[in-house]
Amino acid sequence: MTLPRWTREPMVHFLAAGAVLFALFAWQGEPADPASRTIDVGLEDRARLALQYERTMQRPPTDAELDTLTEQYVREEVLYREALRLGLDRDDAVVRKRMANKMDFLAQSMAETVEPSDEVLATWLADHPERFAREVRYGFDQRFFADRAAAQAALGRLRAGGAMEGEAISLPPSVEGASRSRAAEQFGEAFVGALDAMEPGADWSDPVASGFGWHVVRLRTREAGEVSPLADLREKVENDWRAETIARRRDEAYALLRDAYTVTVAR
Amino acid sequence: MAGSKTGVVGLALVASLALAGCDGAEREAQRAADAEAAVEIAEFPQQVLWGDTHLHTDNSIDAFGFGTRLGPEEALKFARGDEVTSSTGVKAKLSRPLDFLVIADHSDGLGAMRRLYDAPRLLIRDPTLRRWHDMMHESPEQSQRAVAELIDAAATDSLPEAFRDPEGREENMREIWDAHLRLIDRYYQPGEFTPLAGFEYTLMPGGNNLHRVVMFRDGYARTSQVLPYPGLQGPVDDLWDYMDAYEEATGGGALAIPHNSNLSNGLMFELTDSQGGPMSADYARRRAMREPVVEATQIKGDSESHPFLSPNDEFASFGDAGWELGNLPLTERKADTMLAGEYLREALKRGLSIEQRTGVNPYAFGMIGSTDSHTSLATADEDNFFGKHTGNEPAIEDRALEPQDLGTEVGRFGWHYMAGGYAAVWARANTRAEIFDAMMRREVYATTGPRMTVRLFGGFDFTEEDWRGDWVGAGYTRGVPMGGKLVDQGKAPTFLISALKDPEGAHLDRVQIVKGWITADGVLHEKVHDVVWSDMDERRMTGGKVPAVGDTVDRETATYANTIGAPELRAVWTDPDYREGESAFYYVRVLEIPTPRWTLYDAVRFGIELPAEAMADAVAQERAYTSPIWLGPADPAPRAERQAGWFARAWLRG
Repeated sequence: MTLPRWTREPMVHFLAAGAVLFALFAWQGEPADPASRTIDVGLEDRARLALQYERTMQRPPTDAELDTLTEQYVREEVLYREALRLGLDRDDAVVRKRMANKMDFLAQSMAETVEPSDEVLATWLADHPERFAREVRYGFDQRFFADRAAAQAALGRLRAGGAMEGEAISLPPSVEGASRSRAAEQFGEAFVGALDAMEPGADWSDPVASGFGWHVVRLRTREAGEVSPLADLREKVENDWRAETIARRRDEAYALLRDAYTVTVAR
Repeated sequence: MAGSKTGVVGLALVASLALAGCDGAEREAQRAADAEAAVEIAEFPQQVLWGDTHLHTDNSIDAFGFGTRLGPEEALKFARGDEVTSSTGVKAKLSRPLDFLVIADHSDGLGAMRRLYDAPRLLIRDPTLRRWHDMMHESPEQSQRAVAELIDAAATDSLPEAFRDPEGREENMREIWDAHLRLIDRYYQPGEFTPLAGFEYTLMPGGNNLHRVVMFRDGYARTSQVLPYPGLQGPVDDLWDYMDAYEEATGGGALAIPHNSNLSNGLMFELTDSQGGPMSADYARRRAMREPVVEATQIKGDSESHPFLSPNDEFASFGDAGWELGNLPLTERKADTMLAGEYLREALKRGLSIEQRTGVNPYAFGMIGSTDSHTSLATADEDNFFGKHTGNEPAIEDRALEPQDLGTEVGRFGWHYMAGGYAAVWARANTRAEIFDAMMRREVYATTGPRMTVRLFGGFDFTEEDWRGDWVGAGYTRGVPMGGKLVDQGKAPTFLISALKDPEGAHLDRVQIVKGWITADGVLHEKVHDVVWSDMDERRMTGGKVPAVGDTVDRETATYANTIGAPELRAVWTDPDYREGESAFYYVRVLEIPTPRWTLYDAVRFGIELPAEAMADAVAQERAYTSPIWLGPADPAPRAERQAGWFARAWLRG
């Protein structure tokens, strides 16, 4: 199913999540008021404590344990409220960070599970073709020489009508349709950088350096990278869309909140 | 009222998303199957694939406690070449992506530390857990201390009940494992990038390290039928039972990779079975089938060889310092008599000895390297070391000098850590099945980080002439590749060996064959042969030794020059000491010229002065170890193999 566009707005998520929290508190009864000095521990609260205990310890608490839990809960609630009253939450780095993380999480949680439609992904692909383009591919012949002078000499013999013989090395003399990364893996970045700068043709190049030594190269073909249709790339596009959407929503949600603040910084 | 209306829409949204999730898994499985089918499979392995089989993320209790906040998704992104931000805020991108990755988080307490961290404090009843919870929230230093305590507790069998309780474990683990399996399936791009499912089995009786990484051949449909097997209780036979059960129930495949035998205090490669009884042929066969490869090198040291065991090998001490002092948490010091059960060369020899007695070699394993990084970042190069864990990422400038968490007072320091290694796999294509099967047939090798291309073939009729033609094809058709077995034919075996340097790295010093063999009287022998080296005309062998290659490392700038060494070394080598009827193994060790270690890069980058002992160890010769080729009598009765396909055929042939 496709969701209307407004459902993807971070503001809506904030409102939705806020409403859910509001509903939850309303259902649970009075929200905890830091200013109040009344603490009511209802049956539902006790049940919740018991359930959380069970989730952690894998068995329900005994009555005595539940009473201890309740006492601990009350103790923590009392100290929590007093701490809020004293404003202790404000200089606590851990509290600050936790709360900020929770806000980020609210903004991004929808993007983590939503299944984007083909339309969304097609647009994404069209907007960022460079991320999904096939790599450039090369076809070339190469001969290896340990030093430059030998390479130069061989080139001289070749240009005088001789054959092109290289020195022995376990690298392929001819390469067909190798992707740029594959060629770089085998010959090194310096060599591939030299290929990038060459024009395809039938001529042998001047000696080119690599991590191994020197090469004389004949670049026969260079296929520019093209973008495959979405069907072949769906997973890649979706991962990319998701990662970036999460980051964008976090930023947008923050920007939204940030706009409501006036911030001055003394320099 | 307006608020509650929006709330209803919110709930509806959540419900529709939950439904959408279900088709996702099936669609995913179909996509992976289609993509796998489209990958072209070569006749012989043409291209070596690089990977790490041992990476931890924030799902590992210790990694999380040490401060890692990067999860499996960031780990996958980093490994395939994307830029990520490390837990300490440093931007990181691998200059050369990896071809495959096994995220191997500890099965014990998978995700437990994260849950403990997130748990409401009042619900943590166990005083130890509550203290760790508080320490993790207090500061990074305290958090690291909490994990050190946790490792000690695991090693001394005193972990809090909540970490051990099997039922509680199951529910929590199911959720994390499930999410993890879906994630790695999403990142699987057959032919390009292959994440494999796995976990670490952390068996550690009395602090003696018997850890294994367990790795699966399969995708979600199969792997989701099991949970990672807990490691804190042995013996290891139970793990093999679990793997058997998995294969039987799902038709999938699983293998286990032992690591850090150097911290096992002699227990990893025992002459007995795991209960201390005599090793039977069945036990030996089971071990060999379940554990076809061993991690030879990683951040916590190198386990290939030790000078006590190999006094005539001047390169045997690489990566031994510090780690040789005792077991993992240093609760027990090491006695020299323990070393033979710890180092791989000796284990390969012990295998021959047990084979002579029982007819089966339990230690016929191949070798790989990996990182064991706990930062979610699979780095293995000396100039990009991200630390064993987040507590010593590069943002901590004097990390090389700090005493470490594991056995602090007794003499292990930051500089003893290695930069980590990689696994090189000769697979016919970059898919789960092909990588897994290559490991089963042991056509793999270890490097300490550099990406050298190493080929090894054994046969009886290779000659120098073979270099002129398609020697790789000749190797496969007239011989066996690394990991294979030659049947003794009353004739000395001959090997085709080629080592090509890392195109971005250092030149090569030499190529060696390490031979181990057993004579009829049951005595074990070893010999390291220098087979081919750079500048052979000038560097003449004297007294059976090749002179050192030299050293171009500038200690002031942490740089070196490829003015010594060679870009490729290759040779055809025939064993001069062959005797008919003596079982043997042969593996290749390739040495680079000396280069700076991560400690020297750190010292220069951060302007730190290393202590004399660390400075003496700041330059090293990085290396590669191939899986051996074995020579011996034909296996008495070929067994029916569970694994269908090429591996089984090769095994039965070989």
